[in-house]
Amino acid sequence: MDTIISYLDNMFASLPNTRQMRELKDELFNNMEDKYYELKQAGKSENEAIGIVISEFGNIDEIIEEFGLSEIKDEEAKQVLTESEVDNYLHSTRTASKWIGVGAVLCILGSAVLVLIIGLMESGLLKISEEIGVLAGISILLVFVATAVGLFIYGGLKLDKFKHIGSKGNFDLSYQVRERIEDEKRAFQPTFMLTLIIGVVLIILSPVVLFTLLTFGENFAIFSVVIMLILVSIAVYLFVYFGSVYDAYNRLLKTKKANGWTNQDHNEERMNDAVASIIWPLAVIIFLISGFIYHLWHINWIIFPIAALISAMFSGAYAILGRKDK
Amino acid sequence: MISSDVIRGYNDTIILYLLLEKESYGYEISKKIKELSDEKYVIKETTLYSAFNRLMKNGYIESFHQKQTHGKKRTYYKITGLGLQYYQEKCQEWKLTKEVINRFIKEEFL
Repeated sequence: MDTIISYLDNMFASLPNTRQMRELKDELFNNMEDKYYELKQAGKSENEAIGIVISEFGNIDEIIEEFGLSEIKDEEAKQVLTESEVDNYLHSTRTASKWIGVGAVLCILGSAVLVLIIGLMESGLLKISEEIGVLAGISILLVFVATAVGLFIYGGLKLDKFKHIGSKGNFDLSYQVRERIEDEKRAFQPTFMLTLIIGVVLIILSPVVLFTLLTFGENFAIFSVVIMLILVSIAVYLFVYFGSVYDAYNRLLKTKKANGWTNQDHNEERMNDAVASIIWPLAVIIFLISGFIYHLWHINWIIFPIAALISAMFSGAYAILGRKDK
Repeated sequence: MISSDVIRGYNDTIILYLLLEKESYGYEISKKIKELSDEKYVIKETTLYSAFNRLMKNGYIESFHQKQTHGKKRTYYKITGLGLQYYQEKCQEWKLTKEVINRFIKEEFL
């Protein structure tokens, strides 16, 4: 029986992996299986049975010709996604972006905890030695960041198997599925817009909170930083989660906005990644050194907004320059 | 044993004849062909399914899925009104073909 299976696999290996071909292959396999068992029952030996089944298979070129596969055989065949594959993709995107969002929040909250501990120590509310406080703060930060990295990897792996949808766009949707996704996207649009607005408002409000609290006195400085970071982290979560889900709809529908597979955007993404991978660790290093060696804990948090500004400037400038080149 | 080249133009006729009797699926049809031809013609799998595809495209047959009694999901085919019309044309065509070819056949070699 294995011989027949691998024979059939070989015959279909060069054909496009469409649903029609998969169904045909199943059908042929059923026939060959029935024929094989009937021949064995009729007293044929294993080899005779396999020989007859295979000799009566015919020529795969007939299928290629009749099903009009010769033209598409060379170019990369587009896979038509089934409804359950689409559901699976959307579901995985939701789960993955939830955890990636939580990871991003953890990174920000980690620094908030560090700032908070130092603030509590300086204001005398937390009576521990400075070294222990800083050590505890940094340990918590590292634990948060490590958890976040774990979540990023988990989320990334979850989406990895959907590469053909997410980054290559090498698929087609049936008419009904497309309609359904369009409806779902339309239903999701108000939620997406609302969370986008809330996120932007939170980001804009966060420095306002900072400055308002600062007017109450120096003591509030650190708590206002904590509040600012919490507001930012909520905004980041909203952006990551709702943004990814919206993006998933766009990728399925191949709307222009989500053309993540064009070269331009791809380069931009890589540039952003490269800049971020330099700026953020550098910011943390400056933060730690200025704190430990120069005892600038009260002011050195400013590093992080500055780093954010710089990376935003880089990606913005790169995007504009890149577009001009074209 | 008939070579598949000679019979090519009449696979459709054979399949439609069998589907006229009752709706059926691939393997059953190929078994019937073997049986009715006294094992003188065995249709290849690929030939059979190419013919199904062609007949479907022309609207001569329709397919539907059905589970067999012992559990296997099969694609069943049934003939349409258009298919019946086509079958009748093919029968007429065969009558003519037989007449014409017979005129070129020497009795003594049969």
